[in-house]
Amino acid sequence: MAATPTKTSSRSLYRSKLYLLLAPFLLGSLVLTVIPALATAMVAFMDYNTVGPPEWVGFENFGRLLRSDYVRISLWNTLIFVALAVPLRLLAALGLALLLHRRGPLFGLYRAAVYLPTIIPEVAYALVWLWVFNPMFGPLNAALNWLGLEGPAWLAEPATARLAIVIMLSFQIGEGFIVLLAGLQSIPRSFFEAARVDGASAWQAFTRITFPMIAPWLMLLTFRDLIMSLQNTFTPSFVLTYGGPFYATTFVPLLLYEVAFDFFDFGLAAALLVLVYLLMAIFVMSILNIMQARGVVEG
Amino acid sequence: MVRRLLSFVRSCSALGAAALFVLPLYFALVASFGESGSPPSGTVQWWPAEFHWENYARIFQVVPLWKYTLNSLIVVAWAVPLTVLTSSLAGFAISELRPPNAGRLVVVSVVLMLIPGAAVWLFRFQLLVWFGLLDTLWALILPVVAASSPLFVLLFYWNFRRIPEETFDAARMDGASPLVVWRRIALPLTRPTFVAVVILAFVFYWSDFISPVLYIYNPSGYTLPIGLQLLNQLGSTNWPILMAGAVYMTLPVLVLFILLQRLFLSDRSLAELFDRN
Repeated sequence: MAATPTKTSSRSLYRSKLYLLLAPFLLGSLVLTVIPALATAMVAFMDYNTVGPPEWVGFENFGRLLRSDYVRISLWNTLIFVALAVPLRLLAALGLALLLHRRGPLFGLYRAAVYLPTIIPEVAYALVWLWVFNPMFGPLNAALNWLGLEGPAWLAEPATARLAIVIMLSFQIGEGFIVLLAGLQSIPRSFFEAARVDGASAWQAFTRITFPMIAPWLMLLTFRDLIMSLQNTFTPSFVLTYGGPFYATTFVPLLLYEVAFDFFDFGLAAALLVLVYLLMAIFVMSILNIMQARGVVEG
Repeated sequence: MVRRLLSFVRSCSALGAAALFVLPLYFALVASFGESGSPPSGTVQWWPAEFHWENYARIFQVVPLWKYTLNSLIVVAWAVPLTVLTSSLAGFAISELRPPNAGRLVVVSVVLMLIPGAAVWLFRFQLLVWFGLLDTLWALILPVVAASSPLFVLLFYWNFRRIPEETFDAARMDGASPLVVWRRIALPLTRPTFVAVVILAFVFYWSDFISPVLYIYNPSGYTLPIGLQLLNQLGSTNWPILMAGAVYMTLPVLVLFILLQRLFLSDRSLAELFDRN
C-alpha cells in the first residue's frame, strides 16, 4: 500500500467533498429563490417593464397601490379568504387526524381518502369543482335539493363565489393532516395510560396531553398555511371565475399576475408583493406576541 | 355499553368524513361518461345511465391533447430523475455533516420552504429571459436545480440520518468518496423515501399549472394543465367532455397514489417517519 493519508486529513477531505454534493441544491436555491425574492423587493422601488432599463422611483409604486381600488378589493378578498380558510383548513386537518388516528385496515383506507384530493392536479381539481358548484346541473345543489334545500347560485354570486373557493380548498389539506397524524403518533402511549390511571376524562387528556404535544406542529402549519394562502387561490380563481363575479374572487395572486404579466408593470407588482409580506409579517408577529403573553410558547 | 356506542359513532363519522372527500371526485367520474353536449340530469347520479367512452376520444379531437401530453411527459422525464438526484445528494451531504452546519442547513431548508412561489414569479421570468429559456420546456424543468422543493431534501436527510454511522465507516476507510458512499451504500438503503420522492416529484411537475401560464406562450410548448384549461375555455358547458379531461389527467397520479398510499398511510410507516432514534 502506498502512502496512506493520515486519518484526519482523509476525513476532512471527505467532508469538504460533501459540500460539492450540496452545491446544486444550495446554488440552485440561491439563484432561483433567494436572489429573485430579494431582487423583487428592490424592483418595488423602481419603474420597470422588463424591456427598458429600470428607473428608481422611490415610494411612488406604493403610493399608486394605496390609491388603487383594485388593490383594496384584492386585499379585502384575500383577508376574507385567509380569515375563513386558514382556521377551517387547520380545524379540519386536526379533527380528521384525531378521528382517523387509529389502527385498522378500514382506517388506513379512510386516511387515503382524506389525502386523495390533495394530489389531484390543480386544474383537474378546479374543473371538478366547477361542475360540483354548477347551480343547475351540479351534484352539490342536486344533493341540497334532495334534502329539501335550495342551493345558492355559487360561482355567480360574489359572496358565495368566495365561499366556494374556501370550500374547495378546505378539502386539500393532506399535508397538514399527515403532519398532525405523525405528531399524534409520536406521543408516547404511556402518557395516556398514566392519565387514565389518574382518572382523567377524555377531554382532560386532550387538553392536558394531546394539545400541548401537537401545539408546535399546529403553529408551524398555521404559519405555512397563512403564507401559502397567498398562492393557492391562484389556480381556482383563474379557472373557476377569473376573478369575478364583480371582482369578488380577485385575490392578491391573480391581481399580481395581471399587473405583472398582462401589463408588464413589474415595479407595481413587486410593490404589491412587498406590501402583502409586510402585512403578513405584522400579523404573524402579533400572533406570536399574543401567544407569548399567554405562555403558549416560550419566548 | 357507552364505550361501544362511542366507538360505533366514531366509525360512522370516520366513514362519513372519508366519503365527503371522495364523493366530488366520484361524481366527476360518473359525469365523464354522460352523453356529450346534452345537459346532465340535475339529480344526484350514482352510476352512469350509459357509458359514453367516446368522450375520452373526443377530448383529443377538441384540443391537441396528444401534443400536450407529450410535452408533459418530456418535462416529467427530465425533472423527476434530476429532482431525485439533487435532493438525495443534498440530503445525504447534510446527514453526513457535523452538528452545527447540519442543523443550520436544515433551518435553511425549512426557511426556503416558507417562501411561496408567488414571491419569485417576477424575477424568475427575468432570469429565464436572460438565460434564453423563456417559452421553452426548460423553463418548466428549471426548479430541479434547487431540488424542486426543500421538502424532498429534508425527506432524504431524515432517512439518511437513521442509517447507523458505522455502515459507511468501512467504505470511508478504503478512501471512498462521498459520491461512492451515497450511490453504493446510502441510496439502496432508503428505497421507500426514494419511491416517495419519485411520486411526489411526478405530481409536482405533472400538475404544475402556474409555470406554463407564466412562462410558456407558444402553443406548441403547452403542457397538459394548459390543455385542460383550453378545453374549459372552448366548451365550458360540455360537462362530460370537461370531466373526461379531468379524469384523463388525474389517472396517472391516481395510479401512483395507490403506491404512495402504502408508503405514507400505513400505521407503521407513519410511526417510522417521526421515530426519534
